[in-house]
Amino acid sequence: MKKKILIFPFIAFLFILIVFFYLLVIERDPSELPSVLIDKKVPIFETESLLHKKKFISKNEFGTETTLVNFFATWCGPCRDEHVYLKRLSNEKGLKIIGVNYKDDPNKTVEWLKELGNPYSDVIVDSKGLIGIDWGVYGIPETYIVNSKGIIKYRLVGSITKKNYNAFYSKIKKSED
Amino acid sequence: MTKTLLTIVIISIMIQFFSKISYSVEPEEFLQNPKQEIRARDISKNIRCLVCQNQSIDDSSAPLAKDLRALIRIKVQENDTDEEIYKFLTDRYGDFILLKPPFKISTFLLWSLPFVFAIIGIFILFVQNKKSKKLS
Repeated sequence: MKKKILIFPFIAFLFILIVFFYLLVIERDPSELPSVLIDKKVPIFETESLLHKKKFISKNEFGTETTLVNFFATWCGPCRDEHVYLKRLSNEKGLKIIGVNYKDDPNKTVEWLKELGNPYSDVIVDSKGLIGIDWGVYGIPETYIVNSKGIIKYRLVGSITKKNYNAFYSKIKKSED
Repeated sequence: MTKTLLTIVIISIMIQFFSKISYSVEPEEFLQNPKQEIRARDISKNIRCLVCQNQSIDDSSAPLAKDLRALIRIKVQENDTDEEIYKFLTDRYGDFILLKPPFKISTFLLWSLPFVFAIIGIFILFVQNKKSKKLS
């Protein structure tokens, strides 16, 4: 009689143990959040362009080709690390990349691009981080893949690295499917 | 011995008390209208800081939390309803930004399972009680 009672808690305990162990073992970053903007149209916004002497109007900029939107700043270390990969995507793959200069000093940014090279077709100013909020940005660098229909297909939180570069590039190609 | 123990307990209670009233909201952020300020504070307390994920933006001193606090205050001044402000935030950051998950089909299990387990527990207690009574 007593043995029977013990079996149920034991199974429950084992089950919890397996679930926790599984969550520990799989590669997962709990601080990485899914974006709610996936499969939605890009937010509508207007701002100043840092490279061209005209207003940046989002409605005119998306919906013609696959575009990356990269939130970056000169004060952000990982942004510097991923710069080389952005250049590779722009130079080798010919991708259009729009840089959103997040809460930064425009002069520093211009210097930064001179020093490291410019992978961006345009760099736009988000001095107060409000464009970032519209896109659901919570920690830069963040890179969004927008397909040729102007739909957001993927968000990468954190920098593009040697490790995730290929996977990220395949996401770009997949965005047009 | 008991005296030191008592002091420790009192001090830890006091720390608890004072930490509860220290927020990250800076004086220059306050709205002039106290009613609006209270509303903004109440909303901020329900909004998760996505940088330090178990804090509300009212507690957090992360830059994004500060930006969102300012944004909420602007919207409060513009007389947006609470629902409009929450919707603005969840449209951009998802339900995760709410510290209390809403009741939806996808969160049905989350909200209902505690009650299910409680009923199962009461049922087991009831059955066991009956059995032990029979034995005695």
